[in-house]
Amino acid sequence: MIPLYEASSQFHNWRFSAQNLDQIRSSLNAAAVGVIRNTFEADQPGSSASISFLNPDEELLLVRLYASKIPQLCGFFRFPEEVEATAVSYLKRFYLKNTVMDWHPKNVMLTALFLATKTTNHPIALDAYANNIPKTTPSDVVDLEFLVAQSLGFEFAVWHAHRALWGIWLDLQSLPDAPPDRATSQRDVYEAALKHVRSSRLSDAELIYTPSQIALAALSIADPELASEWSHSKFPSESASIPHLDNTLAAIRALIEAAANPQDVEVVRAVDLRLKICKNPEKVVGSKAYLAKKAEEERKAEEKRTRKAADAPPTEGDPFGDELAGRLVDYDDDDDD
Amino acid sequence: MDAVEKANAERQKRWVKDQKIGEGTYAVVYRGREASSGRQVAIKKIKVGLFKDGLDMSAIREVKYLRELKHQNIIELLDVFSSKTNLNLVLEFLESDLERVIKDRSLVFLPADIKSWMAMTFRGLEFCHRNWILHRDLKPNNLLIASDGQLKIADFGLARDFADPGYKMTCQVITRCVCAAVGYSRDSDINHGWYRPPELLFGSRYYSTAVDIWSVGCIFAELMLRTPYLAGESDMDQLNTIFRALGSPTEQDWPGHTKLPDYVPIGHFTRAPLRDLFTAASVDALNLLTQCLIYEPKKRITAKDALSHAYFFAPPYPSHPSKLPKTSPPVNTTQPLDEIDGNTLSGKNNRKRKLSSSTDETKTRSAVARRLDFTKTTPGS
Repeated sequence: MIPLYEASSQFHNWRFSAQNLDQIRSSLNAAAVGVIRNTFEADQPGSSASISFLNPDEELLLVRLYASKIPQLCGFFRFPEEVEATAVSYLKRFYLKNTVMDWHPKNVMLTALFLATKTTNHPIALDAYANNIPKTTPSDVVDLEFLVAQSLGFEFAVWHAHRALWGIWLDLQSLPDAPPDRATSQRDVYEAALKHVRSSRLSDAELIYTPSQIALAALSIADPELASEWSHSKFPSESASIPHLDNTLAAIRALIEAAANPQDVEVVRAVDLRLKICKNPEKVVGSKAYLAKKAEEERKAEEKRTRKAADAPPTEGDPFGDELAGRLVDYDDDDDD
Repeated sequence: MDAVEKANAERQKRWVKDQKIGEGTYAVVYRGREASSGRQVAIKKIKVGLFKDGLDMSAIREVKYLRELKHQNIIELLDVFSSKTNLNLVLEFLESDLERVIKDRSLVFLPADIKSWMAMTFRGLEFCHRNWILHRDLKPNNLLIASDGQLKIADFGLARDFADPGYKMTCQVITRCVCAAVGYSRDSDINHGWYRPPELLFGSRYYSTAVDIWSVGCIFAELMLRTPYLAGESDMDQLNTIFRALGSPTEQDWPGHTKLPDYVPIGHFTRAPLRDLFTAASVDALNLLTQCLIYEPKKRITAKDALSHAYFFAPPYPSHPSKLPKTSPPVNTTQPLDEIDGNTLSGKNNRKRKLSSSTDETKTRSAVARRLDFTKTTPGS
C-alpha cells in the first residue's frame, strides 16, 4: 500500500527540483517577452526596443510580495490557517504556468484566496469578500477564477507543512521517554517551529520538498535536539538515511531563513512600476491590442457557429426538428450559455 | 493564446459529447467518448456562470476529491476542462446504479450478490475514509454500476475532509440538503433523508466516518428488503421511523445524545429484534447490519473492520461482479424510472439462477419476494 501522500496530485504534479523551477520560470518569461514584444511591434514597429522587460527573478519578487499579503488578509477575515496556506500554494503554482507580465499578482492573489476559502470548505459570499478589500469589485475576484482553477489543473487539494508539523508534535508527545508534560512545557518550541513553517511559505520549499521534510526542518531551527529525537524514533540508529536527511534539512533551513528576511520594498516597487509598461497589452481591458484580440476571438466563434449550422442535417417537414436521438449536432453544446 | 488556455483547448479536443442524458438546473450530463479510442465517458457540464459566488461548492468538492481518489470502487474522474463559462467533468461511463437494480422487480438477488455489493461498497468507502474523506451522501443511486458489474461510489458533491478531529462541521448533509447539480446518471430529484444517521438529525456538529457507515447499513437493509428500510417523510419523521425500527435510544445506548443541539424526545419505542423483519438473513449478516446501525457513533463499526467481518468470510462467498444481476441497458436513458421497472428483458438471467441455487438460497429468495408482494406486483418472479 503506497503512502497516502504519494498518491496525491501534489506528489505527482507539483514537485520539482530547484533547477526545474528555474527552467520553467525562464522559459515562461522568455515566451511572454516574445509575445509581448510582437504585440508592441504589430502596433507600432520599433516600439518594443525601449521597453525593459522583467526577468524571472524580478517576477518572483513580485509574486513573493503578494504572497506575503495573504496572511494579512486572512488575519482580517479571520480565515483559518488552512485557507492561508492553500491560497499561498495556489498563487505559487499559478506562476509556474503563467507570468506576472500577463496576469498581475495582485488580482491573482485575491482570486487565489477566494478560491482557497471554497476548496477548504470555509466559503464566504463574494460580495462580503470583495466589499472588504479596498478598490476591489466582485468581478475583479471571480473573473480570474476560472483561469486560476485551470492553471492549478483543477487540483485543489494541497498537503501542508503545518499539518505535518502538528503530526510530528503529536508524535513527540507520545514517544516512550517523552516527559509527560511535554504538550505544555515545550509548547513554545512548537509555536516557534510553526513560525518557521509560515516563513517557508514565502520560499520555494513546498515545490521541492515534502510537507514533513519542511516541518522537520522548521522544528530543527526551533529545537535541533527535539528534531533529532523525532528522526531517531523514526529511523533505526546507524541508518544510512540520517545523514541524507540532515543534508535535506540543511537545504530547507537555508530556504526558510532566506524567506524570513523582509523584502526591500523599494526594489519591489520599482519592479512593479516597470511592469506597468511591459505588461501584455492584450490583457489590458480597452487597449488597442485587447480590442483586436477580442475581435479576432469573435470572428472565430462566428465561423464556428456558421460551420456548425452548415453541418447540421437539413430538417424537413417538422418545423420543430427531427427526433433528438437522430440529431448529431447538439445545440446546447454551444458552451456560451 | 496563453499556455494555460492552449492546454485546456487540447484537453477539450480529447473528448466528444454525443448525447444529452440528463439535465438539471445547473448541469447537463452527456454521454460522450474519447476521440482517440472511442471509450465511452459521461461528461458533466456545470454552468458556472449561473452562480453568483463563482465556482460552486459542490463542483469544487467533487473535483477536489475525485482528483485525488483513484480506486476500483470509486468513480474515476478522467479529465476536467472548461468551455467558456462551463466546467466539464469527464467521468467514466457507468450504465446503472444500485437504486435501479434494487427497483428492477425482474431481478432476483442471492445472498451472495448482496454480499458482493456490500464488499465493493465497503472497499470504496474504506478508501475514502483512509484518505480522510467523508462522503456524507451515500444512497443507492450514488452507487453506480459499471458494465462489468463493479460498483463505484459517485457524487462527491457533499464530501469533505475531516483531518481535524472535533472540528465543527455542518449537519445539513446527506440528501436533505439542497443539491443543485444533477445526479450523474439521472436527475436526483428525490431528496430523502432516509440514509441520514440520528446524530445528524439531532444536529451534531462533531461527526465522523460513522455517518457514512450508518448510510451503508441502511443500504444493506434495503438490499435485503428490496425496499427502503428507514423511509421517513421529514427530519422529525425520520427519527420517528428510526426509533420505531430500532427502539428509542437510552442514555446507556448512546451517552450524551440528549445534549445534542437539535435533540427532541421522541416516543418510547422498544427495540424489536431485527430477525423479525430480516427473516432470511444469516446470523453474520444481521450482526454486521446491527453494527452499522449502532446509535452511538463511536461504537459503530468502521469500514476497515467491516471488511474483515465474519460475514464476508462465511459462505456463500460474494458473487463475482460479472455474475451480479444487472438491469438491462435502457433504450433511452432519459426514460423515467417507472417505465424501466418491471422490464422483463433480464428475466432469463433469473431463470438460469434458479437452476443452480441451493435450497438455502431459494428460501431467502422466496422470503424476499413475499415481502416485495406487499408493495408491488412483481412481473419477473
